[in-house]
Amino acid sequence: MVPARSEHEQPQLIRGLQGNAQSGLNQGGPPGDKDGKDGKKDKPKYEPPPPPPRPGRKKRRQQGPDATSKLPTVYPNARCKLKMLRMERIKDHLLLEEEFVQNQEALKPTGTTDDRAAEERMRVDDMRGSPMGVGNLEEMIDDDHAIVSSATGPEYYVSIMSFVDKDLLEPNATVLLHHKSVSIVGVLTEASDPLITVMKLDKAPTESYADIGGLEQQIQEVREAVEIPLLHPELYEEMGIKPPKGVILYGSPGTGKTLLAKAVANQTSATFLRIVGSELIQKYLGDGPRLVRQIFQVAAEHAPSIVFIDEIDAIGTKRYESTSGGEREIQRTMLELLNQLDGFDDRGDVKVVMATNKIETLDPALIRPGRIDRKILFENPDQNTKRKIFTLHTSKMSLAEDVELDEFISQKDDLSGADIKAICTEAGLLALRERRMRVQMADFRSARERVLKTKTEGEPEGLYL
Amino acid sequence: MANEKEGAGALDKGKGKATEAPKKDDAVLKDAKGEPKEEELSEEDQQLKSELEMLVERLKEFDTNLYTPAMEAIKNFIRTSTSSMTAVPKPLKFLRPHYEDLAGLYDKWAHQDQKLMLADVLSVLGMTYSDDDRQESLKYRLLSPSNDIGAWGHEYVRHLALEIGTMYNKRQEKEEDTQELSDLALSLVPYFLRHNAEADAVDLLSELEMIDQLPQYLDENTYARACLYMVSMVNLLPFPDDIAFLRTAHDIYRQYDKLTQAVVLAIRLNDPDLIRDDFNAAEDPLVKKQIAFIIARQQIWLETEDDEVAECLNNTKLSAMFQYMAKELNLAEPRTPDDIYKTHLEHQRGGASSNVDSARHNLASTFVNAFVNAGFGQDKLVLVEDEASPWVYKNKELGKLSAAASTGLLMLWDVDMGLSAIDKYTYSDEIPIRAGAHFGIGLVNSGIRSDSDPALALLGEQNVLDRENAVIRMSAIMGLGLAYAGSHRTELIDYLTPILNDGNIQLCALAALSLGLIFVGSSNGDVSSAILETLFAREPAELKDKWSRFLSLGLALLFVSRQEEAETTIETLKAIDHPFSKHTQVLVNACAYAGTGNVLKIQSMLHLCNEHIDKADKEKDKDKDSKEAKEGDDIFQAYAVLAIALIAMGEDVGQEMVLRQFGHLMHYGEGVIRKAVPLAMGLVSASNPQMRVYDTLSRYSHDNDNDVALNAIFAMGLVGAGTNNARLAQLLRSLVSYYHRDENALFMVRIAQGLLHMGKGAISVNPFHTDRQVMSRVSVAGLLTVLVSLVDAKSFVLSDAHYLLFFLVPAMHPRFLVTLDEELKPLAVNVRVGQAVDIVGQAGRPKTITGWQTQSTPVLLAYGERAELEDEQYIALNSSMEGLVILKKNPEWQAEQDS
Repeated sequence: MVPARSEHEQPQLIRGLQGNAQSGLNQGGPPGDKDGKDGKKDKPKYEPPPPPPRPGRKKRRQQGPDATSKLPTVYPNARCKLKMLRMERIKDHLLLEEEFVQNQEALKPTGTTDDRAAEERMRVDDMRGSPMGVGNLEEMIDDDHAIVSSATGPEYYVSIMSFVDKDLLEPNATVLLHHKSVSIVGVLTEASDPLITVMKLDKAPTESYADIGGLEQQIQEVREAVEIPLLHPELYEEMGIKPPKGVILYGSPGTGKTLLAKAVANQTSATFLRIVGSELIQKYLGDGPRLVRQIFQVAAEHAPSIVFIDEIDAIGTKRYESTSGGEREIQRTMLELLNQLDGFDDRGDVKVVMATNKIETLDPALIRPGRIDRKILFENPDQNTKRKIFTLHTSKMSLAEDVELDEFISQKDDLSGADIKAICTEAGLLALRERRMRVQMADFRSARERVLKTKTEGEPEGLYL
Repeated sequence: MANEKEGAGALDKGKGKATEAPKKDDAVLKDAKGEPKEEELSEEDQQLKSELEMLVERLKEFDTNLYTPAMEAIKNFIRTSTSSMTAVPKPLKFLRPHYEDLAGLYDKWAHQDQKLMLADVLSVLGMTYSDDDRQESLKYRLLSPSNDIGAWGHEYVRHLALEIGTMYNKRQEKEEDTQELSDLALSLVPYFLRHNAEADAVDLLSELEMIDQLPQYLDENTYARACLYMVSMVNLLPFPDDIAFLRTAHDIYRQYDKLTQAVVLAIRLNDPDLIRDDFNAAEDPLVKKQIAFIIARQQIWLETEDDEVAECLNNTKLSAMFQYMAKELNLAEPRTPDDIYKTHLEHQRGGASSNVDSARHNLASTFVNAFVNAGFGQDKLVLVEDEASPWVYKNKELGKLSAAASTGLLMLWDVDMGLSAIDKYTYSDEIPIRAGAHFGIGLVNSGIRSDSDPALALLGEQNVLDRENAVIRMSAIMGLGLAYAGSHRTELIDYLTPILNDGNIQLCALAALSLGLIFVGSSNGDVSSAILETLFAREPAELKDKWSRFLSLGLALLFVSRQEEAETTIETLKAIDHPFSKHTQVLVNACAYAGTGNVLKIQSMLHLCNEHIDKADKEKDKDKDSKEAKEGDDIFQAYAVLAIALIAMGEDVGQEMVLRQFGHLMHYGEGVIRKAVPLAMGLVSASNPQMRVYDTLSRYSHDNDNDVALNAIFAMGLVGAGTNNARLAQLLRSLVSYYHRDENALFMVRIAQGLLHMGKGAISVNPFHTDRQVMSRVSVAGLLTVLVSLVDAKSFVLSDAHYLLFFLVPAMHPRFLVTLDEELKPLAVNVRVGQAVDIVGQAGRPKTITGWQTQSTPVLLAYGERAELEDEQYIALNSSMEGLVILKKNPEWQAEQDS
């Protein structure tokens, strides 16, 4: 009896191990698992080999549609009739399924089913009781029993109600517990860190491409690398190339990197996740890399999606020998990021946009082609662009007759887009101070003086004169 | 004018959304009221815009002399502009507001040449016109015939092709003239072909229903890709189109002297004349032999004078090649059933084996031994000479028949040796053994043709076929059917039709089945009318007999993939007033559309499964007693489930989609449907063990309904047939311990284990071959026979008709690749074996296989695997490296070596 049993169990055990290893916290998992299985051998002899859904296994990977009900992938990606025919064939089959299921449902003895379902739901609700406690699933013992811990402290060995979906149960899941018997009566599915849900953009920013002065070249490059692959993958397929996986926006401060990212978020219908590099630095060891993993996991679940990491230099600096634990943790976070960008698993429809103003400090591995295929430089605006930015910012201001912006545009100041905005705002503030309703040329002049003064502060002036 | 300027400014603002034309219109309206935004344009854009406007103004003036240079300038602007992929080129954008004006101008102008030029430009501008229904591009294109359409860019040509397609359909509806459209389309085709867009060319021509025009535009470089694309579309096209595609592709291959590819398509067309024509067209004797191998694989019987070619056609070499492969791959060592069961891994629960019927156990061993050592010519059970008590005598009654017949399977394809091995049984005193010998003769000859016709000579004897003893007659009938499956030999009609009128319904049914096997897919009128006559003549009570299903099956097999040709038979069947008629109709329909992927047929089959619940309920309501009598009336639903699998298996998309469908059938269906579902799943993925299929089957194998479980177990064997899949083997072993008390289930598990290791993993039962393109009708017939018998497993295979399992033999074929030199001697070369990749319609020249390993021939190819030669030292004469492939020395390779 023993050899066949144990052989049959082997894969399960290994899976159990993996599940626990992934959750990272559950130290006592594997031995307990085994004990539970041993106990099961005493059951009646005609018990079938354990059914396929094996609890305690991490199933995160194939979330969404079940693997068995997945639709076949359609090749080729090119726009052609073959693709259309194949898609139509899938559609036909789905229609057949729909028809069949509908017919069958119609043929079912009607009337009673709805009532029965409602009644059953009532019964289940009764069994669940109210209120329900919230606990943490520490480990699965066998199909019907598990160890849970609640926030109040003690751990319990409890039974799992039969109506709980065993597929959803996995170590470290949040579960609902009966208030008296503490048995598991439900699973709370949202497993990813609440931090990440915050990062998801619910409201698109108001800035659109129209609010960007100039930067035509950059806009085009970002669109080619990020938006169009998500909208028209076939274009790349026809050409026989793989679309870029990610882009990095770099350039001196105030040149519109974040603005462009906002415009992308405004424009796209894909899920947009935005993170600042410093958010990835966490208090506890391993939390940073975990966060990175979860971000990309969420991104993959909601694919197509765009991940925007601002100020990547917070974690992406060159690696060096470091004795400080904090430094090393940051480096590890970056290593996880490296893996997520171009690691073993294919990320699918996840595009990454990063922004920094210190590209030279970044680790070369981070920005190598394959991870970041496009590096887009944002330069300080030239005359034309300056004019556009000025007009953009002044278009909503009430200007006096004498305002002649060409004066500023033609001056050879090294102004960034942000500086120009600052000049306009400053001019407006000055006018406000004088209780004037219109901004005059003089306001602009003094505003420029002030902005340039603060801008050059810190640098020894006249060093290069 | 000012308005237009603003409009353009607004357009520029919406640059980011250039692809979304409707939005732009909104923007125009909105911003027309706001302040002007011209300054947003960069200087170059501004310049371009004003120049274009100036040119348009000039066109609007009355100085006709200026028209031509202005037009040229506009053309130039359009042609030289480049832009990002999805944005509209700038000149087009700036000209768009003037489109209506220009269109108006066209009507006013008088000068013909200038009109042509204007139409040319208007046609291009029409492309950006968001309104899809107007086909403006096409309208102006037709007004200005030009030879140089390609100069306007690929996107324009594509757009034009799209409009041609739409316009053509419109005109067809109104029955207008479409000649000019066709002419224009034909002028586009060469452009597409030159620019690596065969898909577009084929699409356009098929849209205009003139795919037959394609060959004249193809050349050496483009024909291969175009044909590949066309062939992969065939499965998805409606009826007349698919034939047209195949014929066109066939003609193209003929034109470029790719006879092997052509003959494969001819086989798909199921056109004997075309096949013969291709075969005779081969001048190179080696090519001819290669074609002969392909034809032989499909088991089509052609005659030829040349002895060497005839040898290839007759499959005579198959056995030798198989043995050669076995030797090279170290598979020659015979394996015992215990090796397969891995008894040392099975745990014995308190001497569990003792309470199993040992005769049953021996019978299972007989089958397992036969399947595992099939074709190797040696084993450790039946063919052992010196033993005191031969294995045959360890079986009971009909078990002896199967045991004796298994000799035939062991010696499969080796006619001479096989006959001498069976010889000793033909003189046995025991009738089952003698019957088994007759059956075995049939098995040995399966798929092989020999000039001396030993099977016909031995089995066709009057005293065999007309002997009183039903068992001997039965096995002779089955033997004939197996030996000549797919041969379409008319003289066999005379042997078998008289038996159709025999009083014994079992003999009659098996004769019909044998006729069906022999004339599979021929829609032979004589045979079908003979079987139909029998159906009409028989008493209703006789048709109720369990054997009568093979009468229907025999009739159905005649029409395998004949599609419409089966209609008359189906109509005739409707005249029979008996539930039996409906069963037969379903089977005939299923066979007629086997492998076509026809969705409508699948739908009608599903409807059949729908009806059921209704009827069953009524029956329950009416009276429970009559239910007994009506038992078996709903069997057509089981056939319908098999039919779904049979129809869908020809095409990848359908293959995956029906698996989902089966899930629903399993969920809603009654017992009769449920027990057919596992079989259907096995049929769809025969010898193709996919995780999701056998996982589901393994779940069904524990079903409460014993019939479902039994069939699921068999299906597991079928899915893994000849693959040695370790995971399946483990699942089956765990089933052994689970079912150690249920002897029926245990027998089935043993059979499944035998199937899994069929031919020690060198034989496959998948009916598709030659790159999964061609469906072997004989294989389908064999598989279907077994599955139909398993629909009621307990009255056939698990009862005394276990020998029906041997009908799998026609489907068995080695899954090897053996490379032969010019003398047809095996030649070891290095090949890369890897997962096949669908490269149809991909850009460039992608690799056809992925994850390959380099091995030396002979090699085994699993489902979905493909091989290619490692280097160019040899040229393969066959396009698909499968089965027997002749290699020719590459003359250029030698030259390279020397230098």
